[in-house]
Amino acid sequence: MKPIVELLDVVKEFPLGKVTVRALRGVSLTIGRGEFVAIAGPSGSGKTTLLNQVGCVDTPTRGTVRIDGQSTSDLSESDLTKLRLHKLGFIFQTFNLVPVLDLAQNVELPLLLKGGLTRAERERRVRTIIDQVGLTDQLGQRPNELSGGQRQRVAIARALVTGPSIVLADEPTANLDSATGEQILDLMEALNRDEGTTFIFSTHDDKVMAHARRLVSLVDGEIAEDRVTQGAAA
Amino acid sequence: MFALIAWRNLRQGGRRTALLGVALAAVTGLLVLLMSLSDGVNDSMIRGATSLAAGHVNVAGFYKATPDEGFPMITETGEVKAVAREAVDGLATVIDRHRGWSRVVSDASSIWAALYGVEIAQEVRLRETLRPAKLASYVEDLDGLDGEAREGDIDGLAEPDTAMLFATQAKRLGVRVGDALTIRTETLRGQSNTVDVRVVAVMDDLGLMSNWSIFLPKRTILDLYGLDDDTTGAVMLYLDDIDRAPQVMEALRAAYAEAGFDVMEHDPRPFFAKFQTVSGQDWTGQKIDITTWTDEVSFLVWVIAAIDSVSALLITILTIIIAVGIMNALWIAVRERTTEIGTLRAIGMSRRRVLAMFLTEALMLGLFGTLVGAVGGALLAAGLDALSIPIPSQAVQAILMNDRLHLVVEPTEVVGVVVGFTIICGLSAIWPAARAARMPPITAIHITE
Repeated sequence: MKPIVELLDVVKEFPLGKVTVRALRGVSLTIGRGEFVAIAGPSGSGKTTLLNQVGCVDTPTRGTVRIDGQSTSDLSESDLTKLRLHKLGFIFQTFNLVPVLDLAQNVELPLLLKGGLTRAERERRVRTIIDQVGLTDQLGQRPNELSGGQRQRVAIARALVTGPSIVLADEPTANLDSATGEQILDLMEALNRDEGTTFIFSTHDDKVMAHARRLVSLVDGEIAEDRVTQGAAA
Repeated sequence: MFALIAWRNLRQGGRRTALLGVALAAVTGLLVLLMSLSDGVNDSMIRGATSLAAGHVNVAGFYKATPDEGFPMITETGEVKAVAREAVDGLATVIDRHRGWSRVVSDASSIWAALYGVEIAQEVRLRETLRPAKLASYVEDLDGLDGEAREGDIDGLAEPDTAMLFATQAKRLGVRVGDALTIRTETLRGQSNTVDVRVVAVMDDLGLMSNWSIFLPKRTILDLYGLDDDTTGAVMLYLDDIDRAPQVMEALRAAYAEAGFDVMEHDPRPFFAKFQTVSGQDWTGQKIDITTWTDEVSFLVWVIAAIDSVSALLITILTIIIAVGIMNALWIAVRERTTEIGTLRAIGMSRRRVLAMFLTEALMLGLFGTLVGAVGGALLAAGLDALSIPIPSQAVQAILMNDRLHLVVEPTEVVGVVVGFTIICGLSAIWPAARAARMPPITAIHITE
């Protein structure tokens, strides 16, 4: 499988007062195109820091991060923004929708940022993806009029509408009840299976890990375990 | 969509947006009102100056029998007028007036006044601009008289030995229409001379200038000073377009020089301020002095400058307050929307676009607030002008150069105010907007562990 994400001996340090915290301690990891990977570990283990490196919203202190063969340390701030826009999709734990836009507008936003599409084409894509996440009846509603599960579905639609190679999800079910969380994971799995999009999500919930086909466990900023799971057989 | 985000965020701002918008509207409205007042004073000054004291362009000058003494007069009036008519395109009317300075004495009092000798039939503007004053404005003891009555007729100046004066002067002299005045002055030969005149009209004041201007028939002035018929004080040219006055002045300078007249260097002061300069020069005979109306009333320009300065000071202070308010409101918005900014940056919004989004927000607020304020201010100014509210204080009348509140709304200035304030709003937003744009997505979305 062709690698889409490569981390080579990545170290990330944060200054915290007079001490330096090492959130990642020489992590090396390769993720192939179309994988459905869970980054697991307890709080403070470095899951989110790892996702931030892959998502190009942060840069490593040392080491190399390659996205689709391109080293992020070679890119300018503007190039990193373009990379995020064209190749990455984000799903946040707290949904992070734009509160003043309705459901359809939130989903359309990345397409507008990307540019080059007619209004009709944008509308068609938005409709299609909203159909896929099952929110056609809520099209004109604002985020505060939607339930947590519906908001996360909107976030998934927003992450997928540009057709990114990788979707990063930071604890996507942490703020949802277990039934809704299950539905969201099923949806992500289906999209991964049908669209071939690579999903990398962080979690410390065993039920969520059970959905992953590959589980990377972090402990104190180091990979403690990297294995194919039962989810892969399902 | 980005404008929509800005607009909806403004609406989301609720009371904060409303307060800033109202403050912006109030400052803009105030500025439009002050500018309308300044323009109104300017308009009154133009009307007063070009009716009472000057044409749009004036051909006057000094005659010196000896090097030490100059008189504000020109000889060969006919030829001076002929050259002007030949040289100037777009000439509406040409008149001439004698000028003098004398003691005006009544039974009760006396005042110093500038005399203007006119042929009333030629004085279209004067007749259009002035109207008889109400008795109540200058008769202290009405004693059964109708205070609302307006006595006299400006056309009475067609008769010899008559005078037209203004309400303030009539009040000081204690006279009304039909009463007699004595005009006492010194002739060119240094002899004292007097003439008795009958008041034929008392007119409404027309700003500061009407405090010292008295009009007599031209013949009366000629006789009083012992002058030839072909002399005058100034030839006054009225143009179709007053804004062309400086160009016309320059054209006339060349035309008179070519016609053999000795033309004085341009001195942008009224004629009465030039006596000392002229008396100190070593020449005799006739010299022509060409000025515009602004030169002749330059001693009044301080009023407009003072109003404009007070307005500028007030508006500057208020603008700073508004700018700080906008900056502060956007700081708060940036802080409140840290997660939103981070999310937008994470999903691929460029720094430039984040900057543009916050600037759009400030510009929208600026445009909306100033538009409401400017339209409100303009309507209020137009309404106040239409009401033509009488100004009770003579001191304020003198400053505003009108006996009624007169405001002029200049649409181009109103548009300028809207554009200017909107730009200021945009500039005030640059710092917080740039801060938002510089925010790294990692900081903004709080996803560090």
